[in-house]
Amino acid sequence: MSLELLLAVAFGGSFLTYLFSKISTRLRDGCAVFISLALVAMVASFYGTTVEGSFYSGFLGLPMILRTNMLSWFFAIAVSSLGALAVIFSLSYMKDRKRTDFYYLMFLLVNAAMLGVVFSGDLVSFFIFWEIMSWSTFLLISYNRGPALSAGMKYIVMSIFGSMAMLVGMLSLFVTKGTLNIAELSTLVASSSPGYLLFLVVIFGFAFGIKNAVMPLHTWLPDAYAEAPSPFTAVLSGMLTRMGMYGFLLILYVIVSAAGTLQLGSGVFRFHYILAWLGAVTIVIPTFIAMLQNDAKKLLAWHGIGQGGYMIVGIAYGTGLGIAGGIFHTLNHAIYIVLLFLSVAAVQYRTGGVRDLNSLGGLIKKMPIAFLGGLLGICGLIGIPMTNGFVSKWLIYKTLILGGSPFLAFAALIGTWGTILSVYKFLHNMFLGQLPEKYKDIRPSPVSMKIPIIILSGVILLFGILPGIPLKVINSISVSFGFESLSVSLWGIASETGALNTINLFAAVLIGCFLVGFLFRAGKKSIPVDQENTYAAGAAVPRGKYHYTVDFYNPLYRMITPYLKDFVDVFYMKLAGWTGQLCAGVRRLYTGYVGHYVMYIVLFLALLIFVQVKWSPW
Amino acid sequence: MPILEIIVSPLIALIIGLFFLGLSRKIMARIHWRYGPPITQPLIDIIRLFSQRSVTHGRLFHLGMILALAGSLVVVLFLPLGRWCPLSGSGGMLVILYLMLLSPFGIALSGGEAANPNTSIGISRKLLLALGYEVPLLLILLSVMTRYQTISIVEVVDAQQGASWALFSAPLFISGIAYILILPAILGIRPFEMVKAAQEISSGPMVEYGGQFLALATLQHALSEFIGIALFVNLFLGGAGNPLTFFLKMLVVFILGLFVNAALPRLRIEQAIKYLWRWPTLIAFMGMIVVLVVRR
Repeated sequence: MSLELLLAVAFGGSFLTYLFSKISTRLRDGCAVFISLALVAMVASFYGTTVEGSFYSGFLGLPMILRTNMLSWFFAIAVSSLGALAVIFSLSYMKDRKRTDFYYLMFLLVNAAMLGVVFSGDLVSFFIFWEIMSWSTFLLISYNRGPALSAGMKYIVMSIFGSMAMLVGMLSLFVTKGTLNIAELSTLVASSSPGYLLFLVVIFGFAFGIKNAVMPLHTWLPDAYAEAPSPFTAVLSGMLTRMGMYGFLLILYVIVSAAGTLQLGSGVFRFHYILAWLGAVTIVIPTFIAMLQNDAKKLLAWHGIGQGGYMIVGIAYGTGLGIAGGIFHTLNHAIYIVLLFLSVAAVQYRTGGVRDLNSLGGLIKKMPIAFLGGLLGICGLIGIPMTNGFVSKWLIYKTLILGGSPFLAFAALIGTWGTILSVYKFLHNMFLGQLPEKYKDIRPSPVSMKIPIIILSGVILLFGILPGIPLKVINSISVSFGFESLSVSLWGIASETGALNTINLFAAVLIGCFLVGFLFRAGKKSIPVDQENTYAAGAAVPRGKYHYTVDFYNPLYRMITPYLKDFVDVFYMKLAGWTGQLCAGVRRLYTGYVGHYVMYIVLFLALLIFVQVKWSPW
Repeated sequence: MPILEIIVSPLIALIIGLFFLGLSRKIMARIHWRYGPPITQPLIDIIRLFSQRSVTHGRLFHLGMILALAGSLVVVLFLPLGRWCPLSGSGGMLVILYLMLLSPFGIALSGGEAANPNTSIGISRKLLLALGYEVPLLLILLSVMTRYQTISIVEVVDAQQGASWALFSAPLFISGIAYILILPAILGIRPFEMVKAAQEISSGPMVEYGGQFLALATLQHALSEFIGIALFVNLFLGGAGNPLTFFLKMLVVFILGLFVNAALPRLRIEQAIKYLWRWPTLIAFMGMIVVLVVRR
């Protein structure tokens, strides 16, 4: 099988689904699920292979190439499997909505474009797939209209800035090196001057920084995540944003190569060191902003930015352990954030689109599977031991501590403690606490929502207890970048400066829970009572009158709110406003009267004549 | 031998923790000029609680509590107790830091099932207080790890056994001072007792527990006192060669903590955060800079 066939199935499948939707909705659903599952199987069959081949040679005389290697395969399998799960979830989520045909078309198109991006072997096809991805994402973000339109606009404007930067970088590469083939570039670029390398990493870093939402280029993300349809938000946060990470890996360690990247700059002003600090800022500030959010999806969106910071810190630090941590965290983050967004979507589906944390509560007994997803998702997000997030964060912390950067490590660790506060509020306000009267008769999620949630929950535990499965692949990626191999076993990492053994950890916690469970059983059986039947120290609390978790962290809010405005966003919006005013001013010149235009021409000619007479430059 | 250590060290931790609980009631009573209950009172209470019936609000109400106690028991296995540290090869200080999350997280989940305002307030305060003291604590731990160039707590203890205690050695004593300033907050004693605040929010997260729930919660509390002090002893007082010396060091720290507890009134939560983010953080920050400068 060839990569051309895979992409043909991906792109053709999306249009086929659209055609089928004109016949019947069931056919469309079946086709969408079949295509996305087929893609998973096809991508999986490329495991461990390295294929490279040109599929079109006439574009400006440049061959367009598809290729695969461990790095591409790793991202492709994540894209296709998470995409498939999100499609399955969409079946019931999108059931009674308008324009679903369009939704599926765009959804599958985004998926196909992402596969195209990671399989591209030259920068022209990379750019084309990248643009297909950006534009179809824009259409999906704006799917709900209303506030979603302006969110989509913000996204696409920033995206275009990024694409333009990438285009400039590509043109300069073509002019100086004469090729855009990634494999050839990686040998040619290495001999360039450091100044040119710096230009390359900065200009491409700008493009990928926007996609990956690195501060201060993050402002499109919270609105876009909040307004997009929830199953698509899952894909957007899980993989699409992380195409920026793929781009960073491509430019830093494939095209410019590790040796080149790590030597840029000098002293504390090394390029990769500054990038790591940008990552650290990206961890801390968004995590604390997330604490102030009352919108479930916005809260997760800010965490999406914050967790992106961990990945950047990991890969920018430039050691084998750090790269492995960064790439592993990309995968882990994708898994748990997709799970979290799907859980939110499941709740939204049953409550009629409510995502305001202050008006939900107590849904654990009504929607146990969604709760399970939320619980394991936040455990992964915090990095509780035995979940996947722990292993990747452990790798990153260890790199930073042993590399002698305790301040970076501090930023990363304090981000985690900030995370705990906000995600506990997230879980508590949706699933624990009081069940509002209007949600008394809510039904559990439909099966097509339960399946993805259960699978993803299982994967979180699997990769947390046996991290060796993905780490083996990741290790071979970092070896291909020229870093030394890590001693990875199925259940952890051995090294002389501190080992990690997740299976021992898991066994200890499991045995501990069993022992305590037996001890617990020894007591008398307790009497189940209603949730509202509580001890209130003699003061009867009127039922349903108060919501105890509104302003959950009020003392802290009062302290930190003034410091945590998104100043960058305010600045960009002002910039956009000024540009608008300037354009409005310019427009006044175009009055529509021919006489005025003639006057402009005469005045301009007069100016030219005046200049010639006075200084005679021509 | 490791099997024996795995069985014995949690038991020792439980016994020491319960002893400390009993001792604290006795000493506080003597400071108040009362006679006080016998030192074995907490143990008697636990046995009695197992024979009493409690109310329950659902399955998570049970599971959260079980997770909380199991989490504390597992942390003990990672802490060197004298020379004993059965799971030292399975992860270092970072794992301890993260495992210490399990207990508050379990209690928060368990308490969340009930719709009780006092529980909510208590959990909110606990999480805020934890954020408050984690800022200086992380700076301190990172200073120690950077100083000794390891993330394994056993190696930190070994390094101190060879030389002087970290609290009295040149660059780390600054961090040690910061640690002493935040220790009451980690242990949850006055002036940082706002999480339980018996007179104000009826013991906060504990309010819904009775019967075996309360028994497990008491055991968990005993263990968390043990863990808080043991971490300090291991990191700054040089650990110990055998469990007995270790116990004596812990006892001294605990009794000094009790005097603070007896002397100071309870702060409000925002006062506590302001305090924790000001002086201890500043000192811990300086400590880290000094460690970095010395290393260069």
